[in-house]
Amino acid sequence: MRQLTSFSRRRFGQGLGASLALVSAPQIARAHGGAHVVTVRMSRFAFLPAGVEIRPGDTVVWTNEDLAPHTATAHDGSWDTGALETATSRRMVFTAPGDFEYFCAFHPHMIGTVAVRPSGGG
Amino acid sequence: MKITTLTLAVAVVATGLAAEAGQPMNDLEIAHTAYTAGGLDIRYAHLALAISENDAVREFAQTMIRDHTAVNDAAGALIAELNVTPKDNDLSRALVEGAAAKRAEFMQLSGAAFDCAYATNELGYHQLVNKTVAEAFIPAVKVAPLKTLLEDALVTFRAHEAHAERMVDGLECAS
Repeated sequence: MRQLTSFSRRRFGQGLGASLALVSAPQIARAHGGAHVVTVRMSRFAFLPAGVEIRPGDTVVWTNEDLAPHTATAHDGSWDTGALETATSRRMVFTAPGDFEYFCAFHPHMIGTVAVRPSGGG
Repeated sequence: MKITTLTLAVAVVATGLAAEAGQPMNDLEIAHTAYTAGGLDIRYAHLALAISENDAVREFAQTMIRDHTAVNDAAGALIAELNVTPKDNDLSRALVEGAAAKRAEFMQLSGAAFDCAYATNELGYHQLVNKTVAEAFIPAVKVAPLKTLLEDALVTFRAHEAHAERMVDGLECAS
């Protein structure tokens, strides 16, 4: 089961100003407590959520809901889903910790981040 | 001078389309026109790939081919599913004729002149198509799956319009 992390709960309690600031911040979807699957929608020419935070061994699934094909392509070229036609998905397992910035190779204004945090981290 | 001519041409086409779009069109005519507009943009893009050496222009053209092909493939699948035949109409024919004239103009150009002409036309074309799809086609369409398809296509076309705007800005074509 996916849960809010302590990181998220702390942020949630930091008052109205912080809450308003979070409105414009990337959404963080986080899986923990064993291998999990996090879904990122490619919808209306954006990655939703734009930011996901996972553990090593977790899987991210990108699903294209647009008519136009999209990709999720690492900025450093280390991984690439390849072209995803409409209504198709591609999954990738992330084993190494790190922050992986990616974009759509066809529509470079679409950007996202996969943050892989060590299991023992906060 | 050439840019001014092209701008005027875009304005003429825009005026014609807006006027035509004000007349009632049925679903089959709307489907035909939308499909035709996508196909024409693909042809513009192939021309751009043949002439332009600008990376931003070539990238945009490749995106137009890829995305409009996907949208038209979806339209083709819907047409097959509904077992209907889109109907040719005055607006479709005007678009085809206007695009042929525009391609003839483009073929006389090269280098930055072509890039700016193509980019400016793409921006105007998408502005025009998007306005027509949003304000005339979608409200008029009766068949729900076609309305949904047009709404989804509009998302793509609006992304293209924004992309074209960035391309025009990057090329510094104004003046």
